[in-house]
Amino acid sequence: MFPKPIETRSASAQFAYKAMLPIALLFWLAPLLAVALFSIKPEADFTNANYWGLPSRFEGAVNYGQVFFNSDMPRYLLNSVFITVPTVIGAVALSCMTGFALGIYKFKSNLWIFFMFVAGNFVPFQILMVPVRDLTLQLGLYNTKTGLVLFHIAFQTGFCTLFMRNFIRALPFELIEAARVEGISEIRIFWYVVLPLMKPALAALSVLIFTFIWNDYFWAVVLTQGAESQPVTAGITSFNAQYRAAYHLMSAGSIVAALPPVAMFFLMQKHFIAGLTLGAVK
Amino acid sequence: MHSKMKQTVAAFAVAAAFAAPAKAELTGDLTIFLDTSNPAPRATMEEMIGRFGELHPGLSIETTVIDREAYKTQIRNFLTANAPDVATWYAANRMRPYVEAGLFEDVSDLYAEPEIAEAIASTKGALTIDDKQWGVAYTYYQWGVYYRKDIFAELGLSEPTTWDEEKANCAKIVESGRACYTIGTKYLWTAGGWFDYLNMRTNGFDFHMDLAAGKVSWEDERVKQTFMNWKELIDMGGFIADHQTYSWQEALPFMVKGEAAAYLMGNFAVAPLREAGLTDDQLDFYQFVKINPDVALSEDAPTDTFHIPSNAKNKEAAREFLRYVVSAENQTIINNGDNLGQLPVNANSSVDDDKFLNQGFDMLSNNATGGVAQFWDRDAPAEMAKASMEGFQEFMVKPDELDKILAKLERARGRIYK
Repeated sequence: MFPKPIETRSASAQFAYKAMLPIALLFWLAPLLAVALFSIKPEADFTNANYWGLPSRFEGAVNYGQVFFNSDMPRYLLNSVFITVPTVIGAVALSCMTGFALGIYKFKSNLWIFFMFVAGNFVPFQILMVPVRDLTLQLGLYNTKTGLVLFHIAFQTGFCTLFMRNFIRALPFELIEAARVEGISEIRIFWYVVLPLMKPALAALSVLIFTFIWNDYFWAVVLTQGAESQPVTAGITSFNAQYRAAYHLMSAGSIVAALPPVAMFFLMQKHFIAGLTLGAVK
Repeated sequence: MHSKMKQTVAAFAVAAAFAAPAKAELTGDLTIFLDTSNPAPRATMEEMIGRFGELHPGLSIETTVIDREAYKTQIRNFLTANAPDVATWYAANRMRPYVEAGLFEDVSDLYAEPEIAEAIASTKGALTIDDKQWGVAYTYYQWGVYYRKDIFAELGLSEPTTWDEEKANCAKIVESGRACYTIGTKYLWTAGGWFDYLNMRTNGFDFHMDLAAGKVSWEDERVKQTFMNWKELIDMGGFIADHQTYSWQEALPFMVKGEAAAYLMGNFAVAPLREAGLTDDQLDFYQFVKINPDVALSEDAPTDTFHIPSNAKNKEAAREFLRYVVSAENQTIINNGDNLGQLPVNANSSVDDDKFLNQGFDMLSNNATGGVAQFWDRDAPAEMAKASMEGFQEFMVKPDELDKILAKLERARGRIYK
């Protein structure tokens, strides 16, 4: 098995591993630590080239106060919620149904339709930038939360369908057959038999999609502008003044923006890891 | 009693009508598009529009604020399709395409009005194309050399006025183990500032504008002379090392820590330098020195402007708005330290009590007879500005490759201006 469990290695190797791990971790987290540190520094520390040292004075309260009470940040956070939550609900609901259809029914083009969902995931999304922007403009959805939500649902459904279809395939088919023998309608089979069994998949997928959408920056910048519709990832740059980048406020804003997905991860860790592996192994 | 009252009111009404015969009450809609999307300037502009609205209660004003970067692409669209009555933009070459396409209204009549003519003469040149004026400025700021007064005092130096003094000062600063100038050229434009000044001082404003317009060869001897002057400073170690890896903000610490003595920059550099702990006793300003004594001094002063689109619907109200924007009183308010913190365009305005703004106001009003440039990346077409500023950066790192760089820029000129 690879990688070999560390317990089977020699004592010196184990010691080296234990010694190196914190150092590697420190390097790995260095940019993040710098952001966290900057978020409690006064602006002047940047102009004094105090990039890695301790703050010259503690300005955390001031910076975070600015973020929450003297900027559009709460608005952006709310936008993020209004974009992320409908997307999660929409994508998961749709993919439950597509997954059920593709996983349970045997019809001629079943596999081809399934491949189309999967193939969508292989399209590099950058090449869709211009057509999608034009499409939302023509539909009058440019610079609206609705436009962003609809696009995210459409684009995420491909991956979600792959995930759900494989999960439903792994369910014992006898359950459905038994229900059919009892004469239960297909909709009720979906609702009362399959859906309750899908709870772990639903939880895992919701957590995964939540972090995907919350952290999306690309489409937020392409499809929206301004505080009335942009999510928090794109809104962080609004701290920049006309001539100057306000690194201390951007850092504080970044920390605030990163908190919900991080909290989500720690609270739902089990589901998150399940989500990453569930779709992968059939 | 009742009828008497009526009579008095009527009398007042007649008197009022005679007192202000010219000012017809403005009515209808006035739509204003702003690109001042950052919170502080946005608030300033909205307050200004609010004050204007109070003066003209009959007018229903609708303001749209568009993200500054998005505005740059949207303006082409809305000037033709869905024009507002007033729109913000930039002066000089940046407005040229819209003037030439007939999308901006000729407002020369405003500049002919006696109370305006004299007052806003300092930015008139920047808004003039083909001897007509196409908009009004509402704010601008100076460029120049910000330097550490205490370091100058320590080394026994005084503010230079000639190129020889500048170089002599620099030699002494380098001798003391410092760099003369800090600069961060990672995002290129800072090198554009140096080129602006060196070329304007060596060859004059008109030559500089011809070069920006693609009328002069980059391999011209006069252009080479500009770079030769630049090379003198580079060769003596005048600039900080590794400047190509810093942004303009990352270059500030060298000045704060005293590792570099001066910074050629716009006035917006003052605020972070003060925040970093430099007092006004340590920080001072001088106008970029004379190089060629036969050349009149000209300055970089990027100017933000208001225009009336040709397709505007309420041009009468738009003109009144422009009059209000440039009025001495309004200029004093919007450019003070609590608002934009820049220079008013009206000579009768009072400048905020700030030594740098006062020096800049004086310099631009009295000592910039050669002309006012907008900055290289606003004066030259975008594509040429990018190519040339990459060349400037390369030159600052490898000054001996000048001929190769100029040949490359000349090829770019052939491609870009057609």
